[in-house]
Amino acid sequence: MTAAARALVVGIGSPDAGDDAVGLLVAEAVARFGLPDVEVLTHEDPTDLTLLWQGRSRAVVVDAVRSGAPAGTVVTVDALTQPLPGGRSSGTHDFGLASAIALSRALGTLPGRLTVVGVEGVAFAPGDPVSPAVAAAIGRAAAVVREILDKPSHDPAW
Amino acid sequence: MTDHRGDGSQVLQVGALARVEGEGGMRLEFRDGEVADVRLNIFEPPRFYEAFLRGRRFTEPPDITARICGICPVAYQTAACWALESICGVKVTDAIHTMRRLLYCGEWIESHALHIHLLHAPDFLGYDSAIEMAADHRAVVERGLRLKKAGNDLMTAVGGRAVHPVNVRVGGFYRMPDAAALRALKPTLEQALEDAFATIALVAGFDFPDFEQPYTYLALREPDRYAIESGSVVTTAGTAFPVAEFGRHIVEEHVAHSNALHAKLDGELYVVGPLARYTLNFAQLSPACRDAARAAGLGETCRNPFRSIVVRAVELAYAVEEALRIIDAWTDGAAPAVPVRPRAGEGCGASEAPRGTIFHRYVLDADGLITDAQIVPPTSQNQPSVEADLWTAARAWADLDDRTLTLRCEQTIRNYDPCISCATHFLDLEIVRS
Repeated sequence: MTAAARALVVGIGSPDAGDDAVGLLVAEAVARFGLPDVEVLTHEDPTDLTLLWQGRSRAVVVDAVRSGAPAGTVVTVDALTQPLPGGRSSGTHDFGLASAIALSRALGTLPGRLTVVGVEGVAFAPGDPVSPAVAAAIGRAAAVVREILDKPSHDPAW
Repeated sequence: MTDHRGDGSQVLQVGALARVEGEGGMRLEFRDGEVADVRLNIFEPPRFYEAFLRGRRFTEPPDITARICGICPVAYQTAACWALESICGVKVTDAIHTMRRLLYCGEWIESHALHIHLLHAPDFLGYDSAIEMAADHRAVVERGLRLKKAGNDLMTAVGGRAVHPVNVRVGGFYRMPDAAALRALKPTLEQALEDAFATIALVAGFDFPDFEQPYTYLALREPDRYAIESGSVVTTAGTAFPVAEFGRHIVEEHVAHSNALHAKLDGELYVVGPLARYTLNFAQLSPACRDAARAAGLGETCRNPFRSIVVRAVELAYAVEEALRIIDAWTDGAAPAVPVRPRAGEGCGASEAPRGTIFHRYVLDADGLITDAQIVPPTSQNQPSVEADLWTAARAWADLDDRTLTLRCEQTIRNYDPCISCATHFLDLEIVRS
């Protein structure tokens, strides 16, 4: 199976900035499922996404969000048609996930389908632990990612 | 937005200037058509890193100071290591020194690729952002992203992480990367080399206004290579001094309108960064980079800050070349670190951050606890010269309409790739005409 045909799951975040780690932790949980035909990566710099998902038929990105919802809330967004919740800025020079999607759209490198699974975070300071409500959401978010990947690619709900 | 004040003065304010680092503002005031005042205000709040380093162990600054910046953490880590190793009387091995240079090449590639393609090129190609530019210049943006990713990959291989490397310690590294893992990067870096030289050719074709900086340039210099990770201080004024003496020459001062300190060299403003390095160390660039620089219209010195994008592109190519050269020569077996025992004393370290020379100074007690720390980053050193450039720009282009003048002034600031912080990037521009 070619890389293009394999689904891509990318966890975005920083491992030692509190709830910002949740994307990485969810990706690790998804990797433990051992799903066939799914490549799972973790990444700190959202700018690289524009290249990582290029040519893929489907991609799922997991990231922390700050939208004001209760901590640990898991949201799913079809990133090809809907705006991201919260507009959290992250990464160097404020180049976050929303910018990566916008840039990728301009470049024509978006995957065939792109879903963002967001986990609402509350504590993002360097050295903070992942907050309890967010830690409790990791398994739930990983299950959401699996559910998305289990849907056939022609399913309009994907 | 143009606003007419009750006192008859005219205010033009542009909010949210993107593509600079940190939170600040600029105010230009004209009276009777003449420039009356120029101020670059950094209102990014003070971050107190120097204060909370006090009382920490001598082993901690590489990890703590890396957090000051997400785009140039290696500059902080490296300067901190040199300073602390000098206090402890430790000299690292050639292999460790070389690996520091390789890690630093990753940071230069990452930072220069980002600034050239995503932050600075839109100024020259007439776009408000890289996202807008991407629709018409897809190949340029993709090349920039490829180059940045190559830098990220190198940082990850050597530093353990792309953004805040975790493999750096006082005395060296926690582990040396395998030669095989480094060689696996070669195809990526060979593509990056081709991309970097193409970038030089691209930016050489941009239009540059006539603009000359008369200021003193300061950079580190090594006897046998283009200074990146280490060196001693040289200036275009003819002064030269070891890093340990930087405190006698470089003095930081508070100014009322800014939260960032302003540094002066022997009482005068000066410039650090790509133009300073290039002007002082041109002869140490590789033959291919010197040739590419000449073909791009650069002389052996460059004093036009608007051409800094060309100099950055030359340095980008040099960093990729260096990375390949180091990887080709690397063999496994070198010890990752030398032992470091704390001792009381004071020491300084410096390195060439992508934006210019960074200085660190620490004082340790006999138990290895930090009793004093000083960090002089490039942006505080360049802030007076950014203001001076803005004076020149405002005088030269006072007759331009507000929108064009604003763009020129924004570009004047972005010439420095200022890194005010890694948290936000808004700069309010205010022009007052009365």
